[in-house]
Amino acid sequence: MLGRRETFLSIMLIMSVFIGCRSKTARLTFAVGGASNEVEYWEKIIKEFEEAWKIDVVMLRQPTDTDQRRQGLVIPLRSRQNDPDIFLMDVIWVGQFAASKWLVPLDSLVRTGDIDLEDFFDPIIKQVDTYRDTLYALPVYNDCGLLYYRKDLLEEHNLKPPVTWRELVRSASYVQERERDKNPNFFGFVWQGAQYEGLICNFLEFAVSHNGGIIDSAAEIIVFTPENVSVAELMQRLIHEYKISPPNTYTEMKEEETRLTFENGNAMYERNWPYAWGLHNREGSALAGKVGVALLPRAADGQHAATLGGWHVGISEYSDSKNEALMLLKFILSYDTQKKLALDLGWNPGRSDLYNDPEIRERIPHLDVLRGSFENAVARPTNPFYTQISEVLQKYLNAILSGESKPERALAKAQKEIAEILHRYHE
Amino acid sequence: MSKALKERALFLLPLVSFVALLLLLPVVGTFWNSLWQDVPFIARRFVAFSNYVQLIKDPQVWQSTLFTILFAVVSVCLEMVFGMVTALVLNTRTRMRGLLRGIALIPWAIPSVIGARVWQLIYRYDYGIANIMLSQIGIEPVNWLGTPVGAFVALVLADVWRTTPFVAIILLAGLQTLPDDILQQAQIDGAGLFQRFFRITIPMIRPIMIVAVLFRTIDALRVFDLIYIITGGGPGGTTAPLSMYGYKFFLNGDFGYGSAVSVLLFIIALLFVALYVKVGRLRAE
Repeated sequence: MLGRRETFLSIMLIMSVFIGCRSKTARLTFAVGGASNEVEYWEKIIKEFEEAWKIDVVMLRQPTDTDQRRQGLVIPLRSRQNDPDIFLMDVIWVGQFAASKWLVPLDSLVRTGDIDLEDFFDPIIKQVDTYRDTLYALPVYNDCGLLYYRKDLLEEHNLKPPVTWRELVRSASYVQERERDKNPNFFGFVWQGAQYEGLICNFLEFAVSHNGGIIDSAAEIIVFTPENVSVAELMQRLIHEYKISPPNTYTEMKEEETRLTFENGNAMYERNWPYAWGLHNREGSALAGKVGVALLPRAADGQHAATLGGWHVGISEYSDSKNEALMLLKFILSYDTQKKLALDLGWNPGRSDLYNDPEIRERIPHLDVLRGSFENAVARPTNPFYTQISEVLQKYLNAILSGESKPERALAKAQKEIAEILHRYHE
Repeated sequence: MSKALKERALFLLPLVSFVALLLLLPVVGTFWNSLWQDVPFIARRFVAFSNYVQLIKDPQVWQSTLFTILFAVVSVCLEMVFGMVTALVLNTRTRMRGLLRGIALIPWAIPSVIGARVWQLIYRYDYGIANIMLSQIGIEPVNWLGTPVGAFVALVLADVWRTTPFVAIILLAGLQTLPDDILQQAQIDGAGLFQRFFRITIPMIRPIMIVAVLFRTIDALRVFDLIYIITGGGPGGTTAPLSMYGYKFFLNGDFGYGSAVSVLLFIIALLFVALYVKVGRLRAE
């Protein structure tokens, strides 16, 4: 026989199970990660949403690391969990998630007029958010490669910001030669060449601005082309022949390393993401007020190109509160919320109509350069197996940069391995 | 079955089930996983040995296997030599023996991730200690990790620094079991220092040495954290050990292929163990 206390306890236990289940199904779960100040800011936005719409939202805090954030979403989605209902995705996941049929199509929002695609950048919507003619996500925050330059040094040497790669190489060599007397650690141009995803972003910019690229018109992945070979050669030369990029470009240079090299006054030009702007100009920075921003150079007969980064919002196909999730999605993409994110976090808005807002123009002075970059944005392939493909390409490009591999042979090998990956998964 | 046998089986049961649960199950599970194509974006399907066929065709697998074995062999050899020297020094009767033993253990006591970070700070091109020291005497900075050979040497050096104390401590335990009278007798009989070392010390602590080599080899074959931090597998994938190559597939969501790489690593480690057991005749001794 159970004692009175045991009976009471077991009833409580059973009740708590039911209560636990009920509260789990009725709530909207939003998965978001990033730097701690960003996550805290999201909490504020969520609170405003809860007050405005009387919908409870549980925020699932994700880590800062992008790979871990991806894993944190892939696991529940693979097992068809009904939480999280809505989440932020890195640009390169959208295609993967859409191909897995994990995302709710958003075309109905456009049809009802809740979302006007005119308010967004066309290349971004087309290249990232649309998979097989269906809209699956929308941009919350846009990112792209930019060229940072030293205004003071350009003036001192009577130069203009470079428009073509040739101009960049020439002026970087010129300034480097003269600055070396004062600073033996000075380099003309720093960019990201270590063996990681950032290398692909850099390569894509070099390639597309030279009329190359890694996707052909039929959305097939093509890396072994004459244009790409000569671009890989150029990247190799920057380090080993012109010597305007430091020898550790292919071993250590990731975003932070390039930023610090530039900030320590050891570089003339820097390729980096928009986040570096605020840090270059922060109080106490030796470069405050001395940094200019421009579009990344192009070949004489090419187009400017900037690799697209950023975070997009989408809704889980397995969500049990799709209507509420849609409301949150609309709230996040509203003009007001986007403006707050831009003003308070310095994020480059996903919506293009905010780029005319006077307050934001004051907060982000190079807004026109950003807009120009987003209009020329190049996305990485939306292939579902992009991460595997990227690993292969990273390895061969890094070997080219190290000087150990000939560009032609390495890219041919990369092409062969990529074809094998695609063949294996499509059998 | 006799009663005694049943009883024996009953007493063995906890141990056997423990081993089966903790050791056998993961191995069998990994092997089972490696027979599937398990990629997030397509339906999971049974592919039998096609992951292994792919393994043979994959140039990075060959490169990683070669690197892993080379890394293990070179670093274990060096660790045995340095470990033996350290153990012999620590075994002498000096006054500060206790202090010396403590100091010698420091590299092993530091968490390997932190040790790796320290080495990274030494090798770094821009503000690494090695290059700062070179610049003091007017030599141009060197990109230590910039060539496959340079990166390999740098990694071996870091691993040897970290694990020599471990080998030394094991060998020291062996040295302390040596009866003094044999060595003294040999000395009286006119055996020189090297003769005593190679004819008496080494043969007598051989079983202990085999244990040290065994532990270190298995550990070196599975190396991950050190390389993940110092080179990240670069330049151009030349220093990616099998463990790191397999890890990338788990991270990117090809669980079947990642498992196949793990099984390959397991088989290589098993072959080494079998070799040592045979060479060392562990069972006989």
